[in-house]
Amino acid sequence: MSILSKLLKKKHSRKKNDNYRQKQDPASPAELLIQREYQDNLARMKRELGNSTDLVVREIKIGQNQGALVFIDGLVDAKTISEFVVETMMDKNIPNENFDIFQYALNKTIALGSVKTITNWNELYDLLLSGCTIIFLNGYNKAICGETKGFEKRSIDEPSQQLSIRGPKDSFTETLRVNTALIRRRIKSPNLWIDSMKIGRVAQTDVAIMYIKGIADDKIVQEVKTRLNRIDIDAVIDSGYIEQLIEDETFTSFPTTYHTERPDVVSSQLLEGRIAIVSDGSPYVLTVPAIFVQFFQAPDDYYSRFDLSTSIRFLRIIAFFISLIGPSLYIAATTYHQEMIPTTLVIAIAAQRENVPFPAFFEALIMEITFEILREAGLRLPRAVGQAVSIVGALVIGQAAVQASIVSPLMVIVVSITAIANFSTPVFAMAISTRLLRFALMIMAAFIGLFGIMVGLMLMSIHLCSLRSFGVPYMSPLAPFNGEDQQDVFIRYPLWALKNRPKYISKGNRIRIGENQKPEPPNQSSADKPGSGKGNQE
Amino acid sequence: MIKRHAVFWLYFAMIPLLGGCWDQKELTDLAFVTAMGIDKGTGGAAYNISYQVVIPANVASGTMAGGGGGQGPTIVVYNSSGNTLTEATREMKKQIPRRLYFAHTGIIVIDEDVARKGIMRLLDPLDRDVQFRTTTLVTVAKDYKAIDLISTLANLDKIPMNKIIKTLEVAESVLGESIQVTVDDIMLNITNPGKEAVASVYTMKGNPKKGISQDNIKYTRPPAVLKADGIAVFKEGKLVGYLEGESARGAVWLFNKMKETYINFGIKGENNAVSIIPFKSKVKTAITVKNGQPVANINIMSIFRLSEINTKYNINDPGQIEKLEKKAAAQIKKEVVSSIRTAQKYKSDIFGFGEQMYRSNPQQWKNFKTDWNSMFAVMDFHVNVNAYYRESGLKGNPFWNDTEK
Amino acid sequence: MLVGFPLSLKQDAWIGLLMATALGVLLFFIYYHLYKMYPDLPLTSYLQEIVGKWIGRILGYLYILYFTYLAARVLRDFGELLTSTIYTNTPLFVLLTLSMIICAYAIQKGFEVIARVGELFFVVVYILAVVGFTLIIISKLIHMEYLRPMLANGWIPIIKTVLKGSITFPFGEMVVFTVLLPYLNQQKKVKQVCIWGIVLSGINLAIAAVINIATLGIDLFIRSPYPLLSTISKIKLANFIERLDVLFMVYLMISGFMKTTIFYYAAVIGTADIFNFKDYRKITFPIGVIVLVSSMMIAVNYTEHIKEGLKIVPIYLHWPMQIIIPSLLLVIGLIRKHSKQTKKPPAQTNS
Repeated sequence: MSILSKLLKKKHSRKKNDNYRQKQDPASPAELLIQREYQDNLARMKRELGNSTDLVVREIKIGQNQGALVFIDGLVDAKTISEFVVETMMDKNIPNENFDIFQYALNKTIALGSVKTITNWNELYDLLLSGCTIIFLNGYNKAICGETKGFEKRSIDEPSQQLSIRGPKDSFTETLRVNTALIRRRIKSPNLWIDSMKIGRVAQTDVAIMYIKGIADDKIVQEVKTRLNRIDIDAVIDSGYIEQLIEDETFTSFPTTYHTERPDVVSSQLLEGRIAIVSDGSPYVLTVPAIFVQFFQAPDDYYSRFDLSTSIRFLRIIAFFISLIGPSLYIAATTYHQEMIPTTLVIAIAAQRENVPFPAFFEALIMEITFEILREAGLRLPRAVGQAVSIVGALVIGQAAVQASIVSPLMVIVVSITAIANFSTPVFAMAISTRLLRFALMIMAAFIGLFGIMVGLMLMSIHLCSLRSFGVPYMSPLAPFNGEDQQDVFIRYPLWALKNRPKYISKGNRIRIGENQKPEPPNQSSADKPGSGKGNQE
Repeated sequence: MIKRHAVFWLYFAMIPLLGGCWDQKELTDLAFVTAMGIDKGTGGAAYNISYQVVIPANVASGTMAGGGGGQGPTIVVYNSSGNTLTEATREMKKQIPRRLYFAHTGIIVIDEDVARKGIMRLLDPLDRDVQFRTTTLVTVAKDYKAIDLISTLANLDKIPMNKIIKTLEVAESVLGESIQVTVDDIMLNITNPGKEAVASVYTMKGNPKKGISQDNIKYTRPPAVLKADGIAVFKEGKLVGYLEGESARGAVWLFNKMKETYINFGIKGENNAVSIIPFKSKVKTAITVKNGQPVANINIMSIFRLSEINTKYNINDPGQIEKLEKKAAAQIKKEVVSSIRTAQKYKSDIFGFGEQMYRSNPQQWKNFKTDWNSMFAVMDFHVNVNAYYRESGLKGNPFWNDTEK
Repeated sequence: MLVGFPLSLKQDAWIGLLMATALGVLLFFIYYHLYKMYPDLPLTSYLQEIVGKWIGRILGYLYILYFTYLAARVLRDFGELLTSTIYTNTPLFVLLTLSMIICAYAIQKGFEVIARVGELFFVVVYILAVVGFTLIIISKLIHMEYLRPMLANGWIPIIKTVLKGSITFPFGEMVVFTVLLPYLNQQKKVKQVCIWGIVLSGINLAIAAVINIATLGIDLFIRSPYPLLSTISKIKLANFIERLDVLFMVYLMISGFMKTTIFYYAAVIGTADIFNFKDYRKITFPIGVIVLVSSMMIAVNYTEHIKEGLKIVPIYLHWPMQIIIPSLLLVIGLIRKHSKQTKKPPAQTNS
């Protein structure tokens, strides 16, 4: 039933789309051309923009010619316009002769960095709405477009989600150009290429694809472009929209694209051969292809020394498993496999559960759901109320619940450890998928104990192995196994030993670091060299 | 594609709902049996089985919120008679409100009388049961009934079973007069060619009537205390006797399980003037055949440290040390010999000399196989002990040397 | 590795296993040569090439049945273990169904995914094995003297047992490779990888046998239906690392899954090949149901199941299917090839 209705819906919506498309595309291209009479143009513009109040039209006279200056208030830098456009146009010294005033204006009057001639309305709207100033001159069936972008934007802040102890503290903003610049500033290579496109039939969002030519796999770049071009949607409000439309597999809880708000992360991933997708209006940059182990690599891993980062990475993997199977193990052990638990402990647990009326599964479910509610509420609440929630939360998941004999103290510990462990996953998308799977595993554990957990985990591994991200197997370099790429999976090798870029992504230039980069005390290295030591003695 | 997925997941999600939870057992529905006692049955039944069941709420006193635990005794003992273990156990369920759960049973106490009649019929149910662990220890109750032993409350451990197990452990590793024997070991020894089973022995000091009361643990000197006591010797699954004191220690040497013990001997005409602690030992046994008769050659190497020396003695003199070593070796030899002699008296090859022969020389073993135990009873053996002095403790020469002012 | 030990050899079981490994390598060469002759065809196809269309087809059906049966057997082995140890009250059907779901899901995802999952699980199993082995050693359970006397009864019983059983199980089961090899990507590495695999698994089996015997002693080793489980349950360390049966279950599920999946997959692929299905995924489910039902019906109880597996199957099923038919195929194939090479033009037409 539901499937049928889904199908019907699909057809329906497709029809709608078709209608919409017909409206958008005009019948004849002639209509798209700019008229000679500037008043006509202005009238048309006002009509088509519905007399929007942020449209500013300033009629102006340049030399003998009537003209008009059009821009959208709020998207432009008013100071730039008044200084470099209006002021120069009003210059009394403009020769009064009858010559091509359009060319004159273009070349001599408008003192802007980027100026362009346009003849087409579509283009005109694109530019106007992205913050350019349009200048119509009477008698010309074209217009001048000057780059005057200058809207209010958030300044570059510290990252709010992906924090790190060491390393750069800047993060992306909502402005595409700022974001690309942040990356460009880190990689000053002519090989860092940026392709732009507009996505969103209505919103026309700018989207940029960044990659390093010669490192990134051209096939994957092409694939990314194809997938982006395929997108036909009214608007892309956040990069999350793009993510959902280009990912390989929808029916999975694992993220197959990586998103980050840290320019340093994007830069290092570009250098590994990944491709970044920056979309205007979103402080999160997508990178593809994404693989499973990548979600356990935090930026700190590379900024601090390898022994520390390796051990912390192990910690993170352990935390991942705890957050995945913690509660289900508790359920399985206490209701199916009591023999697993050491005698003294099992008796202690039994004593704790003596007064709890619920089965272990139900107990765990209550606590887990309560915790998830608290967490979600904590996210949404205004900051001022957040304090109150945490106090109430501590009461609910804590002493009070235990005293009320709703849960046993051990359950409280299990839930808390699980929750804390979950926070240690560096990327939220992966953390949230663990949260989801945790409940499935809990059901399996309640159903048939450890066997159920194993069934769940095995299905999960099969699923993980079947996933791909832009053609790259999701579980690589573990399965398919690749010995060379193990240098950055469980153990993060010392930086000088991370010789090559990952094989599964990068093509072409794969050497990351030169030979003999292992730091050595200076005299020792000279003593090692044959001959040099001898030479000193002689 | 969507359809297939939907059906699959629907099916998948329904599984838990469809099924009951067959093997599910909530902790609060279980009665944890920590120890099991087997006595002679009453009223014609072969066995009287008793189970020591933990009362969790009373064990975990203080941690329970609102419960105010720790009021009553930590265990309760149920018993019931039957001709087989299974019968007795099932009969017992009339008395117990929860399901008996055996996975945490740590020890089985077998009454002396039952053991003398034979323990063979007790082993299979233990081996076969799914919950039951074959790593459970087996001990024989000497002079007291098994039910008395497992009903006695103990002081240092809230669960008396733990007390028994830990005492055995310590007695084995520090004193070397008893050993931990599991169900597995007994079965292995019964089935292995040329070897007989042993078990640890437990007895009680004091009054069993008082041991079962909560009062027992209120005294600083409890009226009833359990105590490990030597090694029980079996022959073909029947208890034939005990090894105690020195001969028990000798047996532990021969089992090659000696970790630490003490040895007293006299020097310079002073009785028991020296106490040493052997702390590292190695035993090698080889069985040879001489004139058609098996002979056991036993080589023991032991390293000891000085614990007491209560006379004037120069321990800095290598010659004197050698004397000490010789004396120690002689004492160890005495113990080992007494142990073998006792076993020979029981006609039970608990040391596995026969097994040794089978392993090293299967062809010859065939000749002795049929009547090994009587062969063992008269067999010759040579014991060679080497003891080495290694440490003197914190001091060198004893203060006795300076007592002449 | 559940029940695969040649128990009748007692303490020499491991010698038998090593010997079987050597024979296993030989056996592999038969399969490998067949594969070399038809590198792009699975067994079910080249059967028809070698012995003619009709006989080939019938043999092909037999092989499909054989693989289905093997899948069902492995599944049952595994289910029996669970019901007799941990899930005593749970219906066998539920356990088997759940396991089948995993296998079917893997097969739906394709051979590549099975291979990758295999790689992943291989590592897990190895880590488990190493952990278990270390724990056994640390808890001082190993008694090497249990392995003596070596060769108490000479070589003859060993050779007999090896030929009767050990060569067919587990090594003869490599006959599935004849179906799977053509689907591999890197065909050059096949030989090397497979031989390494056989030798490695043979050595592992032998080590497992040695450990089992050395911890359990002969009597328990023979008497336990699952020696490995008994061994693991003996581990007791520091008073809290004990009762590690769970470790065993994890190990068991993984190896059971891999084996069932491979046989199941071979059956599915073979069927698709003979009946010319374009997409084998369509028949995964029906064949899965067949495997599931037949694994329930194979035997009434464990005793019958094992008796079947140790006494009847090796001689009447394994020997012909694993050794006799492939060898005959190889011989016929070689002769045909030879004659084809000598008189090239006419031979092309009939097959």
